[in-house]
Amino acid sequence: MVSVINTVDTSHEDMIHDAQMDYYGTRLATCSSDRTVKIFDVRNGGQILVADLRGHEGPVWQVAWAHPMYGNILASCSYDRKVIVWKEENGSWDKMYEYTGHESSVNSVCWGPYDFGLILACGSSDGAISLLTFTGEQQWDVKKISNAHTIGCNAVSWAPAVVPGSLVDQPSGQKPNYVKRFVSGGCDNLVKLWKEEDGQWKEDQKLEAHSDWVRDVGWAPSIGLPTSTIASCSQDGRVFIWTCEDPTGNTWTPKLLHKFADVVWHVSWSITGNILAVSGGDNKVTLWKESMDGQWACISDVSKGQGAVSSITDTQQSEQ
Amino acid sequence: MAARWSSENVVVEFRDAQATAMSVDCLGLHAVLSGRRFLYVVNLENPSEAPRKISRQSKWDVGTVQWNPHRAQSRVFAASSNQRVDLYTWKDGFGDVHASLQGHTRVISDLDWSWFEAEYLVSSSVDTYIYIWDTRDPRKPLVALSAVAGASQVKWNRKNQNVLASSHDGDVRIWDRRKPNTAVEYVAAHLSKIHGLDWHPDNEYILATSSQDNSVRFWDYRQPRKCLNILSCQVPVWKARYTPFSHGLVTVMVPQLRRENSLLLWSTLDLNSPVHAFVGHDDVVLEFQWRPQKEGSKDCQLVTWSRDQTLRIWRVDPQLQKLCANDTVEELLEGVALSMEPERTQSFQDLEPQQSTAPLAEDLHDPEQAALGSSGAPQTLQQEFSLVNLQIRNVNVEMDALNRSCVVSAHLGSHQVRLVVKFPAHYPNNAVPTFQFVSPTSIPSAMRTKIQKILTDTSLQKVKRNQNCLEPCVRQLMSCLESDMTQEDGPPASPYVLSNPVTPALPAFPRVTNTYGSYQDANIPFPRTSGARFCGTGCLVYFTRPNTMHRSVPASEPTPRSLSALSAYHSGVLTPMKMRTESQSTLRLYSGSPTRSEKDTVSISSFYYKERKSRRFKTKREGSDSSNRPIKLAGKVIIQEISCLLPVHRALGESYILNVSDIQDTCQKNAAAALVVGRRDVAKVWALASAATSQDLGPDPDPDIDTPWARHPFGRHLLETLLDHYSQMSDVQTLAMLCSVFRAQRPPDAPCGQQLPRSALLPHHSRYPSFTSSSLTSGSCSSTSDSVPVAPWNPATGRDSEHGGPWGESSPDDYRYGNQAYSDPREREREQHDMNKRLLDPTHVLQFDDFKKCYGEILHRWGLKEKRADVLKFTSCPPEPHKGIEFGVFCCHCRSQARGTQCEVCRRLTFQCAVCHVAVRGASNFCLSCGHGGHTSHMMDWFSRHDQCPAGCGCHCLQQSTY
Repeated sequence: MVSVINTVDTSHEDMIHDAQMDYYGTRLATCSSDRTVKIFDVRNGGQILVADLRGHEGPVWQVAWAHPMYGNILASCSYDRKVIVWKEENGSWDKMYEYTGHESSVNSVCWGPYDFGLILACGSSDGAISLLTFTGEQQWDVKKISNAHTIGCNAVSWAPAVVPGSLVDQPSGQKPNYVKRFVSGGCDNLVKLWKEEDGQWKEDQKLEAHSDWVRDVGWAPSIGLPTSTIASCSQDGRVFIWTCEDPTGNTWTPKLLHKFADVVWHVSWSITGNILAVSGGDNKVTLWKESMDGQWACISDVSKGQGAVSSITDTQQSEQ
Repeated sequence: MAARWSSENVVVEFRDAQATAMSVDCLGLHAVLSGRRFLYVVNLENPSEAPRKISRQSKWDVGTVQWNPHRAQSRVFAASSNQRVDLYTWKDGFGDVHASLQGHTRVISDLDWSWFEAEYLVSSSVDTYIYIWDTRDPRKPLVALSAVAGASQVKWNRKNQNVLASSHDGDVRIWDRRKPNTAVEYVAAHLSKIHGLDWHPDNEYILATSSQDNSVRFWDYRQPRKCLNILSCQVPVWKARYTPFSHGLVTVMVPQLRRENSLLLWSTLDLNSPVHAFVGHDDVVLEFQWRPQKEGSKDCQLVTWSRDQTLRIWRVDPQLQKLCANDTVEELLEGVALSMEPERTQSFQDLEPQQSTAPLAEDLHDPEQAALGSSGAPQTLQQEFSLVNLQIRNVNVEMDALNRSCVVSAHLGSHQVRLVVKFPAHYPNNAVPTFQFVSPTSIPSAMRTKIQKILTDTSLQKVKRNQNCLEPCVRQLMSCLESDMTQEDGPPASPYVLSNPVTPALPAFPRVTNTYGSYQDANIPFPRTSGARFCGTGCLVYFTRPNTMHRSVPASEPTPRSLSALSAYHSGVLTPMKMRTESQSTLRLYSGSPTRSEKDTVSISSFYYKERKSRRFKTKREGSDSSNRPIKLAGKVIIQEISCLLPVHRALGESYILNVSDIQDTCQKNAAAALVVGRRDVAKVWALASAATSQDLGPDPDPDIDTPWARHPFGRHLLETLLDHYSQMSDVQTLAMLCSVFRAQRPPDAPCGQQLPRSALLPHHSRYPSFTSSSLTSGSCSSTSDSVPVAPWNPATGRDSEHGGPWGESSPDDYRYGNQAYSDPREREREQHDMNKRLLDPTHVLQFDDFKKCYGEILHRWGLKEKRADVLKFTSCPPEPHKGIEFGVFCCHCRSQARGTQCEVCRRLTFQCAVCHVAVRGASNFCLSCGHGGHTSHMMDWFSRHDQCPAGCGCHCLQQSTY
């Protein structure tokens, strides 16, 4: 049964732009137009404010938790053109790193799979994507893809660390040869795939289907199947599911999930990669699931409409 | 575009007024606010004094109120109430109705006094008639214009006493009162309803219309098919009116639907971005009028009335007025403009009617300019010069558009700088201006070079995108100088610090480019105000806008894509803690606190309509409490448990077992566990697995005797079908468990059969200790040999191999190399048979590993670390290489260097326990200093009683090894 297990009153002074739980689902980070990032301990249905992170000088658009093997690390990006990496040390949260290399609002941050170390991708309205790699001892290596998206980059999402190409070709008994890849979406209406080759980032694929700004992209987690899947959503109200079964990763086929009436802002995959949460300007959240025959169907409408999810939501909302 | 804090002089609140309309008299002395029960007359000279009241008895709100614009009749105002117009006289602080005009049969929509005849009033109504009244004879209208359609607005022409305009839905009709039967001209102005109509103050033929279709259009009614210019807004426009000074236009957005409460001042010469925003009202602006100025005053004053029940008076100083006139732009139009110069001055004073041609000509140029800007083409240098905002302290910029250069002079402390900037002909299209310091620049040359480089870089970034760079460069220059100056004091200010611009911005004119939601933000996506994210394993975290925040856009209109759309929603105050009676000083104080964010008081929340209870009726009862209660802008974040939607189950993760010593039992117990959580399909699968792993089906070691069960349709084929099925369901839990169980199922011919102790059963145990035995390693040294491919102890085949060792049955390497390496056909056949008798297809081993790793990850998130280790034991790939310290040891037998427990040279175990002198294979501890050590238990025992090394070398191992 789908049930609300917690309702967190963030006490942000302005609208919330992102909320994300950490790896174990014990803590919640939120960010808002009030320029703050807040961290709550939400274990056992509680909501204890753990930290109120101030440091941004504009609305904070997105947060991202790093894998816990590197410690408790959170990245946030803001209109103020900054990316801040926060770290908890001895119970207190402090700035670990501040990146100011973008010339416009930074719209998206995403940590790479832990197999690659502590690596953060940042997409900005200046059109560039930055890749920040922690090299130890307070040092961060910065690689920048300039003009990744004309006009601006709105979203970045890492590919899971899986072995590319044919599964059989991989010699076993040694560390699999993972290739760093991520996907980005931008104001040029394009979804772009990037790949690191010899330490350099190269545009690998350019996926065209949207007719307006791409607002979010999400690379589905892998459960070990050879198919790669990406979801993208756009100002044009469309959500596309891109799949690639080609071991070389060159042939991506789009499938229209749905055309929404208003802009779609966000797509998020479940951990098993078979449910997609879609949210947008209509203030609704819908969940989509792929059936056995490969069709996508809406399984719930979290904000309004039918289903158990919605009824619970409505009560929660009306309490506000 | 600037959302500047306006020079708001006066804010007065009339909480109980509940006025729907407002008007300012022609002397600029009084404003009348019309509420339902009273009309309030405010003394504009001293607005905070209590207003005089005129009571009225009507159940209708006042629709429109208008003072007579003629000095001779300055005491008279008209107020419409449903179908009736009441004429009031205001005298000595008292007012009453001296006449009523009754003629309309339905509600009156607009009133307007003639500019020429003091007694003439026109009224429009939805009853489709427009009546012109001579107020000296209130019994019946003087002229009735029949429009067939209901009118929303009616306005007298300011230059021609016979001409009127009225609006009907999206159309405008031009009337000559001498020809009442039919309109003289029709203008199909808009596609949606026209909310506002205003005649040009100086041009008889030009008018501006504002409409629901999100635009303001400018018309010359002699050319009704062609609009002179369009001002596109993202939102419906309620009113657009010309300013008394030249080329200005003030707009207000649609009240009922909107929350953008600022008035925007535009220059009709450049409609790309507003010149100014009057920010302050925190509810819809219902009415605005210009207050006639006293003699000699250069300032204009705008009087506004808003639903927030405050009356505000804004000063528009000559500087701001000039921004609308935009002299430099006019240089562009040199030939045309030159001749118009004197007229413009004249029109500025708004003195007398003038020839219509000149302003018309100007206006006709507008589309050209609008096109220039809207197409995204870069501005010309002249435009840049005219629009650049260089209100920076200590900086003076002399611009010379003709010679394409400018001189920036700045002084900061002891430094003085004079910088000549020359703009190449192609600028700003990827052509960088040159920067040259000239005397009396007093900064050191190293600094000059540095600054020059910074400036060139800055400009390059801009011109690469064909953007202008003068302003960024000047600011950069100041930033450099300033940081140089303050280096002793502290870190230099970052040039990108937003709310803390390089120079402490003048309060009234903060840096334009910093304005949040301004036109600078055209490429920044509109912020998300709702979102959902899957987190952890079975949670959906989502947030939506609070219910009290409604989109102020009609549902049919999509959410804007860019943040710049917010510029239309400058609502003034970001936080819900509103101050209702702030004076200018408190306003500044407020805006400066609490987050020192004086500038971007515009927030995304401005886009949404905040539902406020008791807007009109409850105020009386609840008093100030309710209206002052903060409005919640942030909704709650909801965490929802959705694991029931997922194919993996935590309960199963907890109860599943992987007991290699009894696969049958494992399968049965797991089947029972699956039944408990209601996965009947999986229970059946476990039953099948139990059958397939049955001892009876164990393959024969001799390839010639029998076809192995794996080749049977119920063997590998069945398993593959199952795996396919659960792959489609993304049920990684079942996939990983199946793969593990079938991998655990050892061929019974293997010597390490089920009789052997458990540790020996796991061929990977010693090889990949990080999963299995990491808990055993302890102390400062550990003997584990993570990930190092030492030749394993593999009695199953007993063969030696040169390539990293035979990996049991696991590796595709085996599969491939196996075919090449062995020349003996029997060997090869057996190899083939080895492959064939496995139920899991050996060619997909890596994929199976991925299932297990992914499931391991999920178990990790569930906090089931032991279960995770159980599953990961069955992967064939080594885990992440060990990144910590590795111990190299010298083999105690052959002294060759070895890593791990077995010497690669002599194939014996590499070290002995210093206590028992037996070879160590399991958990062990060694001293880093002397290199002696042994079985962990022995070491523990020894060092609990001794300090020195058991080997007798004299080393104080415990002290040496602690770090």
